[in-house]
Amino acid sequence: MKKTGLMLMGLALILTMLTPSVLAWEGKITIWDAPRWRNEEGDQFHWIKSRIAKFEELHPGVEIELVEVPWAELGEKLNIAIAGRDWPDIAPVDISGGTVKLKHLEQGVIESLDSYFTEEELADFFPAALDAYSYNGHLYGIPTSMTVHSLMLNLDIFEERGVEPPENGRWTWDEFIEKMKKLTFDRDGDGEIDVYGFSTYILKGYYEAWPFLMMDGARPLSKDNQEYTFDSPEAISALEKLASLKFEYKVSPMEMGGADVGGTFQAFANPEQRTVAVEPWASWAIATLRNSEKYKTNFMVAEYPIGESGEPITIGGSGGFVVFRQRDKGKAEVVGEFAKFLSDTEQQYIFAVEYGTFPARKSAQEMDPFKDNPQMKRAAEMLKYAITVPRHPNWPQIDERIQAQLQLVLNGEKSAEEALKDAGRQVERFLK
Amino acid sequence: MVIKNGSLLKDIYKHKLDYFFILPKFILFIIFIALPVVWAFFIAFQEYGIFETIWVGLTNFRDVLTGDLFWIALWNTFRYTLVVVPSQVIIALILASLINPLNRKAQIFFRGAYYLPTVTSVVVISMIWRWMYNSKGLINYLLSLLNIDAVNWLGSSTWALPAIILMSILTPPGVGVILYLASMGSIPESLYEAARIDGAGPITSWFKITLPLVKPTTLYLAILGTIGSFQVFAQVLLLTDGGPGYATTTLVHLIYNSAFRDFEFGFASAQAIVLFGIVLFFSFIQVKFLSSDVEY
Amino acid sequence: MNVKKIFLNIAKGTVYLILIGWAIIALMPLYWMFTTALQLPDEVFSMPPRFIPTVVKKFFPLLLEGKREEAIFLLTESLRSIRVLFTDIGLPRWFLNSVIVSVTATLGILVFDSMAGYVFAKKQFPGRDFLFWLMISTMMIPGQVTLVPMFILIGKLGLKNSLGAVIFPPLAMVFGVFLMRQFMKTIPSELIEAAKIDGASEFSIYWRVILPLSKPALATLGILTFMAVWNSFLWPLIVLNKDYLYTLPVGLKTLQDKNLVDYGLLMSGASIAAIPMIIVFLFFQKYFVKGLTLGSLKG
Repeated sequence: MKKTGLMLMGLALILTMLTPSVLAWEGKITIWDAPRWRNEEGDQFHWIKSRIAKFEELHPGVEIELVEVPWAELGEKLNIAIAGRDWPDIAPVDISGGTVKLKHLEQGVIESLDSYFTEEELADFFPAALDAYSYNGHLYGIPTSMTVHSLMLNLDIFEERGVEPPENGRWTWDEFIEKMKKLTFDRDGDGEIDVYGFSTYILKGYYEAWPFLMMDGARPLSKDNQEYTFDSPEAISALEKLASLKFEYKVSPMEMGGADVGGTFQAFANPEQRTVAVEPWASWAIATLRNSEKYKTNFMVAEYPIGESGEPITIGGSGGFVVFRQRDKGKAEVVGEFAKFLSDTEQQYIFAVEYGTFPARKSAQEMDPFKDNPQMKRAAEMLKYAITVPRHPNWPQIDERIQAQLQLVLNGEKSAEEALKDAGRQVERFLK
Repeated sequence: MVIKNGSLLKDIYKHKLDYFFILPKFILFIIFIALPVVWAFFIAFQEYGIFETIWVGLTNFRDVLTGDLFWIALWNTFRYTLVVVPSQVIIALILASLINPLNRKAQIFFRGAYYLPTVTSVVVISMIWRWMYNSKGLINYLLSLLNIDAVNWLGSSTWALPAIILMSILTPPGVGVILYLASMGSIPESLYEAARIDGAGPITSWFKITLPLVKPTTLYLAILGTIGSFQVFAQVLLLTDGGPGYATTTLVHLIYNSAFRDFEFGFASAQAIVLFGIVLFFSFIQVKFLSSDVEY
Repeated sequence: MNVKKIFLNIAKGTVYLILIGWAIIALMPLYWMFTTALQLPDEVFSMPPRFIPTVVKKFFPLLLEGKREEAIFLLTESLRSIRVLFTDIGLPRWFLNSVIVSVTATLGILVFDSMAGYVFAKKQFPGRDFLFWLMISTMMIPGQVTLVPMFILIGKLGLKNSLGAVIFPPLAMVFGVFLMRQFMKTIPSELIEAAKIDGASEFSIYWRVILPLSKPALATLGILTFMAVWNSFLWPLIVLNKDYLYTLPVGLKTLQDKNLVDYGLLMSGASIAAIPMIIVFLFFQKYFVKGLTLGSLKG
C-alpha cells in the first residue's frame, strides 16, 4: 500500500517535471485587447475572455487581467502608458502602423521574441506576416492575421440601377468611372442627388484611399526611404483622378475626403442610409457586412481600379500581439507562452472565419477557412498585389502631413500638384 | 546680523501657528504648482526618453520656431482670439447695457439665461455644436430655409475655424454680462442726472459716462478673454481634432499632440513656454493700451 | 407727448426683442440637446428636424385616450439610449467618479483655502506678503506649462490611474486663497480680539468666529470649485486611462470617439452630464454672480 503510494507520488513528480505547460512563475499578467466580433450576447471581448479562462486553467497561479480598449483609443492609450512606463504585458499592436513607434523598438520597450520560436515554428508563418513584425533583423511580435484593403460593392444599388458589377471584381479606371456615374442618382425624386457611386475618408494612420494614389505607379517614399516621391507625375495624376470623382464627375458626396470614419461606414452599411454604392475598407468590414445583424449587406468585393501601372495595387497590413519589456525572466516566459497561445493555428482559423482576417499561419490557411465565403476568398487573391506602408521611424509625422494635404485636395481647396509638392517640403525635415 | 537672524527665527517661532494654518495649502502648492513650473523649464531643454533623458540645450526651442506647425497653430490661435475676444466683450457690453435699466426680475432672468449655458462643460457644448454642424444638422437646415446651400462646416478648411469661432461667440458671454452689470450698478445715479440736466440724451451719456466707467471691467474681460482664447483646446479636440489638414490646429492642441500623442515631452514643454511668453506679452500690451487713460 | 410715449414703447419693445432673441440663441443648443436625447432613433435625422420630440407630443394624449401600453412603449423607446448608457456603457460609474472627485476637491479647497486665507488676511508674520504673492503670481501661468511635468510627477507619486490623480492637482489651485483673503479682510478685527480676550484658542477662533462669518465666500468658492472640477477635461483626459475611472467629460469624449454619428446616444449622455450643473446653477445663482464679481476685484 505504502509503496504504491510512494511510487505514484514519484510518478506524479516525474510527470509534472516533464509536462511543458508547468511554468515556475506565478502572478498577474495584464493584457489589453480591443473589440472583436460579437457573440450572441453582443459581447465583443468574448474571444479573449474565453482564451484567458482557458490559459488560467492550464496554468494555475497565473492570473490575467484584461483591459478593454476600443481600437480608436488603443494607440493613444498605449503611448500614454509607454511614456508613463506603465505598459501592459501584451497588446494587439501592428508595429508597422503608427501605434507603437519604431523609436520604442529601438529603446527596448517591446520585447524581441527571437528566442521564443524555433526555426521550425517560424516556418509555419507566411514571410510577409513575419516581415511586418520584424525590424532590424529581430522579431517583435506574433502575427495573428493579415488584412488587405478592397472595394465593397453594394449589389442592391447596382441592381437598382441595372449596373453590371465588374466581372470577377476587376475593372479599369475608365470602367470604374462609367459605373460610378450610373450609380449616382436621385432616389426619392426631389431633384437632389441622394445616392452616390463612391465615397471614402482621409485620416492620419488610415489608408483606404491610398491604393488610388498608387494606381499609376507612385509610391510615397523611395525604396530606401530616403526620399519623398509622392510628388511624381504618377502621384499627381492619380490624386487628380481621385479628386475628379468628387469635382468633375460628381459621383462622390460632400463628405468624401473628410475625416469622419464612422460616418463614411454608416453611409454605406447602415440600413437606414445606404447612400453610397462603393467604398474601400480593410477586410474586417467583410466580416461585419456578412455577419453583423445590423449591417448585413448584399455585397461583393472588388479590386481597386487599374490605372497606368497596370496592376490592381492595394495596401495590406497585419495584426498580432506584441510583448512589452519584462524584468522577470520567469514572467517573460509565461507572457510569451500566452502570446503563442493566442496565436496558434486554431485561433488564426477562428479569426479568419469570424473576424475577417487572413491567417498568418500556413497551417491555418490549409484548414480552408473561406470555403463558404466568396468575398474573403476573392479578397485573399488581392494579397499578392498588396504593398505595405513605408517603415520609417518618422512615418507618423510624415503620414500626418501627407494626409493633411490630401484632405485639402479632396475639399477642393488645393490642386493635386500644389498639395503633393507642399507635403514634400513639409516632410523634408523628417527624412534626413 | 546674528542677533537679527536670531530675532527673525524667534519671530517665526512665535508665529508657528500661523505657518501651520498655511502649511497644507503651501505643501500642495509646492508639489503641484511650483515644482512642475520649475520642472517644465528643465524639460524644455531635454530630450525625454523612456529610459534615459539627455540635455539638448536650445534644440527644442529651435525646433519649435523653425518647424511648420507652430506658426500655423499660432496664426490660427491668433485669428481665433482676434475675432472671439472683441466680439464677446462688445456683445456682453451691449447686452448688459440693455439689461441694466430693466427691473430686478427681468435682470435676474436675462442674466441667468445668458449664463446658464456656460455652467455646462465645454465638452457638452462642443458635442452639441458638432451635432448642429453636421451636414444634415440643424444649422444647415436653418440655412436651407433661407435658400442657402448646405455647408460642410467642420470638414472644409475654409469653414472649420469660422465654425469654431462662431460657436465660441454664440456660447453666450455670460461672465461678461454679469461683470458689466455689477460694474454698471455701482455707477452713481447722480452722474446720469447731472448729464440729463446738461441736456445729454441716453446715448450721449452712455458714451460719456457708462463706457469710461466700466473700462476696468472691459480691461479685465479682455485680458481674461485673451488668456482663455490662447488656450482654446477642448472645442478643437471635440469638433475637428485640428483638421481638416491643420486648418484648426491651435497652440494648446499642438502642445497636447506633441506631448500626449507624439510624446516629445521636451518639444511640448518648449512650446508651452513659448505660449506662456506670448500670453504674457499680449496681457502686457492690453494693460498698457487699455488702461493708459483710466486713472482713479 | 403721445408721440414720445409711443417712441419710448417702441424702444422698450426693441430692447426686449433683442434680449429675448439673444436668449433664444443662447439656450437653443441646450434645447436641441434635450430634444435630440428624447427623440426616437429614426427621428433624429428626420428632415425637417422635429423641434418637439414625438414622445413629448404624444405621451399624455395617448394616456388620456386610455392607450396606456402604447404610451409606455413610446416612452421606453424614446429613453432607449439612456437605458443603453446606464446598462451597456459605464455612465453611472463616470457620474459617480465625477461626484467623488468634485466633492472631495471642493471640501479640501474649502478647508485649506479658508485656513490660509484667514492668516493671510488677519495675521502679521514674517514672509506673509512674500508667500502670498508667490502663490498668486502663478495664477498667470497657463496650465499647459505644467502638463508634462505633472504627468511625470503623478506617475512618480504612484497616483496614475487613480482618482487621486484628478483630486490632488485642483487642491493646489490658488484662486481660492485669494478670494478668501479678500473676503476675510472685511471681517472686523475687533471680533477676533474679543474672542481672544474670552480665552478662545487660535483654532476655535478660526472655527467659531471666522468660518461662520465667511459663509457667503465659502459658498461662492465651493460652487466655483465644484463647477471647475466637474467640468475639467484636459487633465483627466491625460491621466485617466481606465474606463471605470473616467469622469463624465472624459467618458463623453470616448463615447463620441466610439459612436461618432449616434447623435441620440451622444446627446443623451451630454444631457446627463449637463443636468447637475444646471440644477446647481438654478438653485445657487446668486453665489455664481458673487463669485465672479469678487474674483474680478484686484488685490
